[in-house]
Amino acid sequence: MSKQLLLVAAAAGLAAAASAQDPAPAPTPAPATAAPAAAATTPPPIQFETWHPNRPAKEADYQVAKWGPRDLPSPGYAFRAAKVLPITAPPIIDGVVVTKNGRIEAIGPAKDVVVPAGYERVDCGDAVIVPGFVEAHCHIASETFDLNDTVHPTNPEFRTLDLISMEHDQIRMARAGGISTTLYIPGSGSNMGGFGTLTKTWAKSPDEALVRFPGSLKIAQAGNPERGSGDLGTDMMGMSEGLRMTLLDGKRYHERVAAWQAGKGEKPAFDATLDLLRGLFLHEYPVSVHTQIYQVVLQTLQELRLELGLWTVVVHGTFDGYRLSGDLGPAGVPVAGGPRQYYHDRATNRMHGLLGNWSLGGQHGWRDAVPGLGRDGVGVNTDSPVIAQEQLPLQAAMGVRMGWPHEWALRGLTINPARFLGIDHRVGSLEVGKDADLGIWSGDPIDPRSYVEQMVINGTICYRRDAKRPRW
Amino acid sequence: MRTQALLATAVALIAALELPAQRGRRGGRSEAGGPPATTPTAAPADTAPKKASRYVAVVGGDVYLGTGQRITGGTVLIGDDKIEAVGLNLTLPEGTEIIDAKGKCVSPGFVCVLGNGMGAPRTGPFADGVNPFDPEIKQGLAAGITSFFAGSTSGSGPTPGGNNAVIKLAYGNLEGMVLRENAVVGLSVPLSLADREKFQELVKKAREYIKAVEEFPAKKAADNNLKEPPMPPGADKIVAVMRGEARLWISLGGGFNPFGLRRGGAARSNDVDQIRAALEVAQWLGEGVVLQKPMSAWMLPEAIAATGSMVFLCPRDHVPADPADPDHTGSNIASAALLAAAGVPVAVTCPSGPYAGAGVGTGGLLGQDLNTPNVDAAYAVRGGLDNRKALRTLTLDAARMLGVDARIGSLEPHKDADLLILDGDPLHYATFVETAIVNGKVVYEKAKEPLYQHIQRRNQ
Repeated sequence: MSKQLLLVAAAAGLAAAASAQDPAPAPTPAPATAAPAAAATTPPPIQFETWHPNRPAKEADYQVAKWGPRDLPSPGYAFRAAKVLPITAPPIIDGVVVTKNGRIEAIGPAKDVVVPAGYERVDCGDAVIVPGFVEAHCHIASETFDLNDTVHPTNPEFRTLDLISMEHDQIRMARAGGISTTLYIPGSGSNMGGFGTLTKTWAKSPDEALVRFPGSLKIAQAGNPERGSGDLGTDMMGMSEGLRMTLLDGKRYHERVAAWQAGKGEKPAFDATLDLLRGLFLHEYPVSVHTQIYQVVLQTLQELRLELGLWTVVVHGTFDGYRLSGDLGPAGVPVAGGPRQYYHDRATNRMHGLLGNWSLGGQHGWRDAVPGLGRDGVGVNTDSPVIAQEQLPLQAAMGVRMGWPHEWALRGLTINPARFLGIDHRVGSLEVGKDADLGIWSGDPIDPRSYVEQMVINGTICYRRDAKRPRW
Repeated sequence: MRTQALLATAVALIAALELPAQRGRRGGRSEAGGPPATTPTAAPADTAPKKASRYVAVVGGDVYLGTGQRITGGTVLIGDDKIEAVGLNLTLPEGTEIIDAKGKCVSPGFVCVLGNGMGAPRTGPFADGVNPFDPEIKQGLAAGITSFFAGSTSGSGPTPGGNNAVIKLAYGNLEGMVLRENAVVGLSVPLSLADREKFQELVKKAREYIKAVEEFPAKKAADNNLKEPPMPPGADKIVAVMRGEARLWISLGGGFNPFGLRRGGAARSNDVDQIRAALEVAQWLGEGVVLQKPMSAWMLPEAIAATGSMVFLCPRDHVPADPADPDHTGSNIASAALLAAAGVPVAVTCPSGPYAGAGVGTGGLLGQDLNTPNVDAAYAVRGGLDNRKALRTLTLDAARMLGVDARIGSLEPHKDADLLILDGDPLHYATFVETAIVNGKVVYEKAKEPLYQHIQRRNQ
């Protein structure tokens, strides 16, 4: 691409100072502070960094995980719309996004961006362009539904990679709903369901759709896996022990491999069951943990993050788990909230909006008020098909209804889960060099009345809404 | 005198705003001749209208009438438990209590065609079982619900049945809670061949009975010993439907099960045959029926309209099309829009399934239950239904499915004073109910109840 084009793009706001993008949401009282008449101010966003020390700096440095291809051929397009929300930069009124070969080449106001010759200009009219949404907890990237093989209490030998298919109804619905990337994980039938896959929702083949494998190791701390009670050790202590032993097996295997790589000791015999666990201790990918209520989130924090030192992401953090936001925040443990979006505190007869409380802090029952994870620590998930995948934005809408700032909710659909999962260099915002995953919406993407007019994934228009028979 | 003038104003205003074609005979029997208890009684011309003991006026809001129309900066005048007038610059009776709604939206209370809990017992007699102090009532009111349909609609074979009621969320008022019992009877299609015949036989007997009852007074005058014609056994519900006293709801074989579907099994992708069977029933009866959650009604809106039938559905219930026959199978998010365009009244309800359901209990998932009924109307808009008309799916058209549109569902004179003051567009996901009024009484105020008072609206 021409240098001029890229320069224009840079000038067009991508380099804008982060402080300028701060949403400064309308002043409101913190949800659920003790006094309803509390001062009407939103606490300033809390600094939040996902904790993944020594994470490999570049994709090429990954030893265990495999990254999907980039720069796949796609036509040159210039999408122009009334509003472009890059998410990590201020909104652009009358903006243009230029894409080719799977990536964003330029973005900025229409008056500034020079569209190279030969690129097709796509006039999106009054539409709003946002990044494709990132779903952190999905069970529907294949046609099968039941991902709960429970051969053992922990099953690190399982993986979803081999199941992914691109042309079934549910994944079509996902892209018609504006979702371009999902973390496709096993269910919570056992404590360790297996390894999940980060995949795009459209490509010519599952290989081309791959973002990263493993996307995460799925762990279910409680709230499902205990269903097989009895002498399997499937109450709280037994489940914790099972997880710990398996993870420690993996750690020892990792250490033996690392020692051999450093020229100390013999090459350990290849262990297919433990091999992918090595990546956890190389901090290549996180554990995504199905953990919900206060007690269980506490166990997640203690065991997985503090004791074993894993890059830990809480997924479908619901019920009163948010009461631990003050502890998760400093430990760098982010939360993808949902599908349950509210909690009725019987002690006070208050309805708590969970995403808002995770973000802004809250209080209920006996516990002191907690500070929240701020703007950057909270994402949204559906646990599809519990909530249909295409209703991911509705999850955000319900969060906003219950007090989550709208601009934060847009981040919770895009850049936040991308950061939690370590794929924010590829997806989650509209920036030059990132994947060309664009949701072209008829209006505010969080409003259920809006719909996706066109969906672009890896630079290819993979969905166009048919007004007579809209898919979604 | 003043009240009379005021009524005249109101009537003129409503006439000026007269509704579109949908307000015809279709599904609207109750206007013509519902049971006396539910028909609004306009003041006879020769007597002065009864003066209400208490007047309340909701003033200055954007008033959504529930019919599809809206009055900006309008006033709703309530006399006791009824609406006296709706309009601009109304002259208010002396001593009227004013509720300021400037900058707010005013809407009829939402009517949910399916519901449970919220003070209603599981089975009737409902008048004996309702609990006007059930805390769920407040939660329902906070969601904008002022009336809902509770109970069952299961018939057996050719005999329509059910045990149900339209419940009002009249918190604290036992007498105000049951609007009507057994306003709905249910029938499942397709009928077996034997039941088809039996049903048609019952319809025939019902028709003869209705005719005999109509002719009875004249015949009685001629022959004083004549006995009243007896109700044919098993035909009472059908008679009620044919007289417009009850609505016939038709369930269309095997229910929609998103999980069954996602396992690649149970769910059907096409229920056109069942819909045709239901429309056949409507033709036999000469009376429109209500189709419950059809998947494929969007494929034959004209046929549904021709029988005067109505549809309620969940716009986001999704069944994939058969790739081999995509034009004749599968659901369509545009269903509500396509049906409404053909003149079919459409109401919306929330999804069903293991994590959803038509209640306000907090065990479900927000956005999938009755805590946000407006979200499903919003999905109808997503599918192309006019944003301003879509409120009908939660108000007037929903009331029509229950046969109680003479009482509730719109802000029109003589109707029950069930209304909401909202902090924004009724169909916006972030809109909260600030005040709910049922039977003319304020029964919920966001600022005074703990439930949502701590939440301030985030997004306009």
